[in-house]
Amino acid sequence: MNVSAICLNNLHRRYEMGDAYVDALRGVSLTVARGEFVALVGPSGSGKSTVLNLVGGLDRPTEGQIWVDGVELTGQDERGLTAHRRHRVGFVFQSFNLLPRLTALENVALPLMFSDVQEQQRLARAQVLLEQVGLGDRLNHLPTQLSGGEQQRVAIARALVAEPGLLLADEPTGNLDTATGGEIMAVLKVLNTGRDLTLLVVTHDPEVAAFADRIVRLRDGQVLEEGT
Amino acid sequence: MTFRDLIKTSFGNLGRHKVRTVLSSVGVTVGIITIVAMVSLGIGVRHEMLGSFEALGLETLRVYPVTEERTAFDLFGEPPRKVLLTDELVDELRARDDVLKVQPNLNLPSTMKVGLEMDGQMVIVRPWQLQSGPDEPFVPETEFVTGEEPSLDTAVIAVNTYTLKELDIPQADYPALIGQEVTIVLGAPRGDSFRLPIKLAGIFDTHYGPNDRAVVVLGLPVRLEMLSWWHNSSDYLARRGYDSLLIRTTSLNDATQILDLLEAREFRVQSVKMMLDMVNRGMIVMETMLASVGGLALFVASIGIANTMVMAVYERTREIGVLKAVGASPADIRMLFVVESALIGLVGGVVGTVVGWLLGKGLDRLILAIMEWQDIQVQATFFVVTGGLVAAALGFATLVGLLAGLYPAARAARLDPLEALRHQ
Repeated sequence: MNVSAICLNNLHRRYEMGDAYVDALRGVSLTVARGEFVALVGPSGSGKSTVLNLVGGLDRPTEGQIWVDGVELTGQDERGLTAHRRHRVGFVFQSFNLLPRLTALENVALPLMFSDVQEQQRLARAQVLLEQVGLGDRLNHLPTQLSGGEQQRVAIARALVAEPGLLLADEPTGNLDTATGGEIMAVLKVLNTGRDLTLLVVTHDPEVAAFADRIVRLRDGQVLEEGT
Repeated sequence: MTFRDLIKTSFGNLGRHKVRTVLSSVGVTVGIITIVAMVSLGIGVRHEMLGSFEALGLETLRVYPVTEERTAFDLFGEPPRKVLLTDELVDELRARDDVLKVQPNLNLPSTMKVGLEMDGQMVIVRPWQLQSGPDEPFVPETEFVTGEEPSLDTAVIAVNTYTLKELDIPQADYPALIGQEVTIVLGAPRGDSFRLPIKLAGIFDTHYGPNDRAVVVLGLPVRLEMLSWWHNSSDYLARRGYDSLLIRTTSLNDATQILDLLEAREFRVQSVKMMLDMVNRGMIVMETMLASVGGLALFVASIGIANTMVMAVYERTREIGVLKAVGASPADIRMLFVVESALIGLVGGVVGTVVGWLLGKGLDRLILAIMEWQDIQVQATFFVVTGGLVAAALGFATLVGLLAGLYPAARAARLDPLEALRHQ
């Protein structure tokens, strides 16, 4: 049993497109320790987002094994993957993916609704997190009333509300200007160190990657090199 | 997800597209209006009929003798009766605690011509049953101008005012006629005639019905004497018995018991309850048929709701992806869409029930206004919306919405989270 935060062993992912197929991952093996901040970098099509989706339980590998917090994902059914997404990981997307009709507070509280947490408790926890990411005065704003940076902070708070040990971020600064992107990365770094949160961030921005403890370069679905 | 979260989230989602929600529920509204209006009409009419039947007396039984099969010997007469309705039977029934009243009856043959002679003048009259009140509600209401209603057990006669007009007797003389002797005259086809003097007990007027005919009411002893002469039989009652008995019992349950008792003795028994049951069965068939029209509308509505929900799933594909990414299970997603769909049905059902109820009220007034205009005096409620009907209508509307949402919800639940997140 592997007790690393993430352990990937010879991971393959093949996408079929009609008669043709594309090998997005071709034998990726990677270990991420608990509390580590790892940046996955590489050009478009290198397979970095695929790794993130597989670790997050949004996709299944064609071959290979995935362990997250010592739990193997590969053999899990839909119920197991749902539980994985609900309790063990939090997602931050490039395009924020907030629900437009919900306020910042409601968006952050949303994941707890599926864990049957009472509404009052949900909102209280969401408020604490929003205050931590510096949005204590924006609780009842709708996403359209928030700036890009603020929306991403809301998304980060939402990813953390269920208290997962692992945060997966796919190009978290991709839709933000450099200054705001830097602020977001600073927030993530603080969470990483302050909460002992494992972070796996996909980016092709070297400035974002610079925040990480370790940088893993992917090319053509394979790990090219690892470094700091 | 808790039920409260489901309802709140679903209402929130429906509120985002108010016009679409309203339009989708219109079909359900039309269907439920039809069902509520039709079924409430059925309930109302049934209720009114039950009232009328109760006025007839559900505790009332009519007993008839069963006749033997016709043979060559009684080709032109009545075949013999299997069991007779005798005075002994009448006495036996009258002695029972559960019987309030037993009224035997003798029918006069329709070929018997009856004349009434007064002061040397004669007019042809028709013997007529006079038993107003709950026992005989179909008999026109009568009003005794002078004298009183004759007891059927006495050898007296009552005549209507038309008879006296035919005999050219002025109205002023009516009071003086009571207690006087008049003569019933019968003529047989064989040529001889029969004269029967009897006392005049009352003069009556009919409000409707045979007000333009000379009719007389004859007590049973008079009828028996007439029949004895007609059939040339001194022991007519012992040979033929009564033609029918009217029995009024203390309760509906007693009526059923006596019905069984008399049927066991091979009498033919009719009860108002039997008629009511038959009418009720007919009404239920009718109601079901009428409600099916609404059912058809609901079927069409369910297709509309399914279409709306399929559209909603398509539009919210990315949102479904987000929900799955943050921990929603396929069951959560399915429930969200099913509840949304059911709520569309419920909204349509609520509006349909209210409008259907109002429509019934309006039609009720319209019908009564038309009847008043036609000079028909009726006090009735034709459309009755009961609590059960409201509950059934709302439940059915919700069920239709729920069923319509099953397929779109299953599609939403099956969506691949990654594909859904990439959806633009």
